[in-house]
Amino acid sequence: MECPLTSNIRRGQPPLDIAGYERVGGYQAVRKALATMSPEAVTQEVIDSKLRGRGGAGFPTGQKWSFVPRGEAAPRPKYLIVNADEMEPGTFKDRLLLEGDPHLMVEAVIVSAYAVEAEVAYIFIRGEYRLAAERVERAAAEAAARGYLGRNILKSGFSLDLHVHTSAGRYICGEETALLTALEGNRAIPRAKPPFPQAAGLWGRPSVVNNVETLCNVPHIINRGAEWFRGLSLGPDGGTKIYGASGRVKRPGAWELPMGTPLREILEQHAGGMCDGYALRGLLPGGASTGFLTADHLDVAMDFGSVEKAGSRLGTGTMIVLDDRTCPIGMLRNLEHFFAQESCGWCTPCRDGLPWTERILAAIESGEGEDGDLAVLEMHTQCLGMGKTFCAHAPGAMAPLESGLRHFRGDFERHIRTKSCPWRT
Amino acid sequence: MTKIIVDGAEVDVPPEYTLLQACEAAGAEIPRFCFHERLSIAGNCRMCLVELVGSPKPVASCAWAVRDCRPGPKGEPPEVKTRTPMVRKAREGVMEFLLINHPLDCPICDQGGECDLQDQAMAYGVDSSRFKENKRAVEDKYLGALVKTSMNRCIQCTRCVRFATEVAGVPELGAIGRGEDMEITTYLEQAMVSELQGNVVDLCPVGALTSKPYAFAARPWELTNTESIDVTDAVGCAIRVDTRGREVMRVLPRINEDVNEEWISDKTRHQIDGLRVQRLDEPYVRQGGRLRPATWSEAFHAIAAKLRATRRERIGAIAGDLAAVEEMFALKDLLVRLGSTNFDCRQDGTALDPRWGRSSYLFNATIPGIDEADGLMIIGSNPRKEAPVLNARIRKRWRTGALKIGVIGERADLTYDYAYLGAGPETLARFAEHPPARLSRQIWLVGQGALARPDGAAVLSAVARAAVSTGALTDGWNGFSVLHTAAARVGGLDIGFVPGDSGLTAAAMASGGVDVLFLLGADEIEVESRAFVIYIGTHGDRGAQRADVILPGAAYTEKSGIYVNTEGRVQMGDRAAFPPGNAREDWAILRALSEAIGAKLPYDSLAQLRAALFKAFPHLARIGAIMPGNPDDVRKVAMRGGAMEKAPFRSPIDDFYLTNPIARASAVMAECSALAERAAATAAE
Repeated sequence: MECPLTSNIRRGQPPLDIAGYERVGGYQAVRKALATMSPEAVTQEVIDSKLRGRGGAGFPTGQKWSFVPRGEAAPRPKYLIVNADEMEPGTFKDRLLLEGDPHLMVEAVIVSAYAVEAEVAYIFIRGEYRLAAERVERAAAEAAARGYLGRNILKSGFSLDLHVHTSAGRYICGEETALLTALEGNRAIPRAKPPFPQAAGLWGRPSVVNNVETLCNVPHIINRGAEWFRGLSLGPDGGTKIYGASGRVKRPGAWELPMGTPLREILEQHAGGMCDGYALRGLLPGGASTGFLTADHLDVAMDFGSVEKAGSRLGTGTMIVLDDRTCPIGMLRNLEHFFAQESCGWCTPCRDGLPWTERILAAIESGEGEDGDLAVLEMHTQCLGMGKTFCAHAPGAMAPLESGLRHFRGDFERHIRTKSCPWRT
Repeated sequence: MTKIIVDGAEVDVPPEYTLLQACEAAGAEIPRFCFHERLSIAGNCRMCLVELVGSPKPVASCAWAVRDCRPGPKGEPPEVKTRTPMVRKAREGVMEFLLINHPLDCPICDQGGECDLQDQAMAYGVDSSRFKENKRAVEDKYLGALVKTSMNRCIQCTRCVRFATEVAGVPELGAIGRGEDMEITTYLEQAMVSELQGNVVDLCPVGALTSKPYAFAARPWELTNTESIDVTDAVGCAIRVDTRGREVMRVLPRINEDVNEEWISDKTRHQIDGLRVQRLDEPYVRQGGRLRPATWSEAFHAIAAKLRATRRERIGAIAGDLAAVEEMFALKDLLVRLGSTNFDCRQDGTALDPRWGRSSYLFNATIPGIDEADGLMIIGSNPRKEAPVLNARIRKRWRTGALKIGVIGERADLTYDYAYLGAGPETLARFAEHPPARLSRQIWLVGQGALARPDGAAVLSAVARAAVSTGALTDGWNGFSVLHTAAARVGGLDIGFVPGDSGLTAAAMASGGVDVLFLLGADEIEVESRAFVIYIGTHGDRGAQRADVILPGAAYTEKSGIYVNTEGRVQMGDRAAFPPGNAREDWAILRALSEAIGAKLPYDSLAQLRAALFKAFPHLARIGAIMPGNPDDVRKVAMRGGAMEKAPFRSPIDDFYLTNPIARASAVMAECSALAERAAATAAE
């Protein structure tokens, strides 16, 4: 089984330096793309690869790039921004890549920036990822010293400046337009779309924002071709995927597996199944802002389409497992606490609605729930839905709540009826 | 134009319209809190959600442009629905969220009765709440003397933040905290320093920001609204004067796209407490060195006696900055009947003269013209202090990136970037001799700081020469623009309230040229001579203190009057209240006096006076309109030449808040002035 993303990562070992990275074929994609391919050809290759965004929304990457204005008439400078603000609860796949193989990140940035003709790139790294930022900065400096960054890279005429920016720390910065606002030095608040960043992004210029894992696939696609990349996958979406699992499983962790690996295989084979004495009650397949799947869904293939058909979203592909000895209302209260706290406060439903859900869930959990509470929670799942709010933060927060109300209805009602939490006694 | 279907009806709107504007064009009312036509789009209140056919989710109509809508599958125009159950439910949801943390203290809220939230809650709210938790509590903020805060009521629409940042150009307001803890505040709760800050009270859709001086003073339904014109500067902002009984309770802006859009300065809004104090409410006569109250006939008698003993060329009159055209016309008429040519409306001694043509003293580019300008040279003026609303217009144009600005004169924070070219006449001369690269629509703005000085005529000529030589006068564009500071000035110049043949100027009259001097609200000039001074005015200010006879007049809110603004736009204000005590309208005082001194003016009513005025100056009858000047006047002024001195230009306004007798009587303006001084002192450190 091929693991292109993680092949250079060795547990407990420092990442490859530039010499070591070049020895295993590093920066070949830069050489190939800059010397033999046009930006349009690189973009086309990525379109053909069926690579979809790994940040959560799953938008086809090549298609995103194709919206960027090109040629002489395009506004300049154009920007490529790497979204490394990995703050989704339960998600730690980008950290693995940034810390484990920083040169792959840098190479991915160069090739991708070339594809969209960007002359400036930013890697926007979560503030807490200090080690990742250090390693990526060092890798970028090494790459610049070798002439992979800066003016006229490898005499191709293509120039690129790469800046590593560490975030001041807000979950909303993972939302691409809020990230841009934060990068400009302003309060991190999302922007209305349209215009989309590809047309008017950072400082009003055409900008592409991509996730770390997404871009790290690009050098491999260029080196080995779209067809090879599609062949890595078990399903319609190309490539491999870093899946992860956290919660009461025997071996929590992250693994690079073919895209579309069945849920059961990830959970039972790679995560080692549930801890002894714990049974599976449900799981959030792709971070906190995806809806619950249950034991009935274990044969679902973990690709974008299949998970959606099962009533949730692939999200980041890193699952959070709920066991039978944890109160689902408590888990939801904890999640909504997070989302309420991380709301930027910009739009009404998110700002005022999320704290309300948190308080109702806290009341139900502590045995103070009342009839009518569930109706209010259901109102929230509608009034904080897509389009009702400014960005996808609140709709994401409603995904576990809405599905939790469906799957764990009995638990909610029991809390309210008995005025106590069965898991606390 | 683009076609779009709103609730089944097709309308044709510009593609850059937002869906909200398109819906309004189709007659569908869209509730909103954060959206405001003159501010950037926030899209955060979510009250304006509509259904866009073909879109799975509702869209915020304020943040979605018509051109971003996709046509239907068969190429039909995009379709918007504003009255579906989905839309209603979405808005009800937003309203519920807005109200859970809102204190619902309408009975003690100054916004009550004119509150967007109150109105919309009637449409989309319910009579009880499902929210059983504690409401969020937010500490009130100190924002200065004018804006009172009740931050529990804030719905975080950010209109005030956007106004301060975008329109006022003083980014003092912002949000701190995230999520539920988001709060609007100034940095470290410093007082706001903008001269336009009062507008945030109008913009606030709830009772979070209310007027501090007006706190708990009146309810909107108790007030009578009168349309009027502001006199605190020469912009002539459209205002609405709200009165309860005899008292002016507040001043609000009216919309006039050609002048003030919908902004007014803080002086316009808040000097009105000065209308209640220091008022002259009965005639006074000086006797034994002291002023004593007198009857009208006693006062007239004293004047008549003095006039009889005075030769006609020793009689003069100076009109002040707040005078309406009517009373200046009557006073000039009276002086002419007395055989004098000594009258002047230029108490600051500005070197402007109607004999050089109307174009030589108007803001010829006009205020809407600023929106088209591509170059602006500011000479001897600080528009931020002299005309804050006009300054906001300049800033608005500058924000588009299409306006290059240069300044010759004092270096000041004008709320926009400019190239600072020099301090005085030497720099100006350089431009007149060596014109820079041509722009197609330039404005050469010259302020009174460059003209009210001994070499003012030479400066005026140099500015005209520079304007002509740089191509600021082209077909259909006259960029030579004088910025006045006095509301009365252009009207006075228009009716020729300047010395006639061998007549004396204001300065000459004030320093001994005359023995009897009428001051028509002229408080900005020191009368040094021993002349017998007849003061007609409203406040116990400098003019009244110097007077030998005081005739109590009417303030701008207490009379109907015509004012001509700096562009030459003729505007009329209505009477909102009556003058206090025995005070009378100024024209009527002059009419009565004229009879007492045997030089009876031939009009018995304001209508008759106006008929005479319009006959003599027909352009004054065209209310709202500008009679453009002849650009050749500017070319002629350019030829006049003259020697300029070296002294740098200084703005005529030291303290924005204290420029007229009403403002000087106002406690609110005094507090603002003190705060501004403190802020300036802090900034200097």
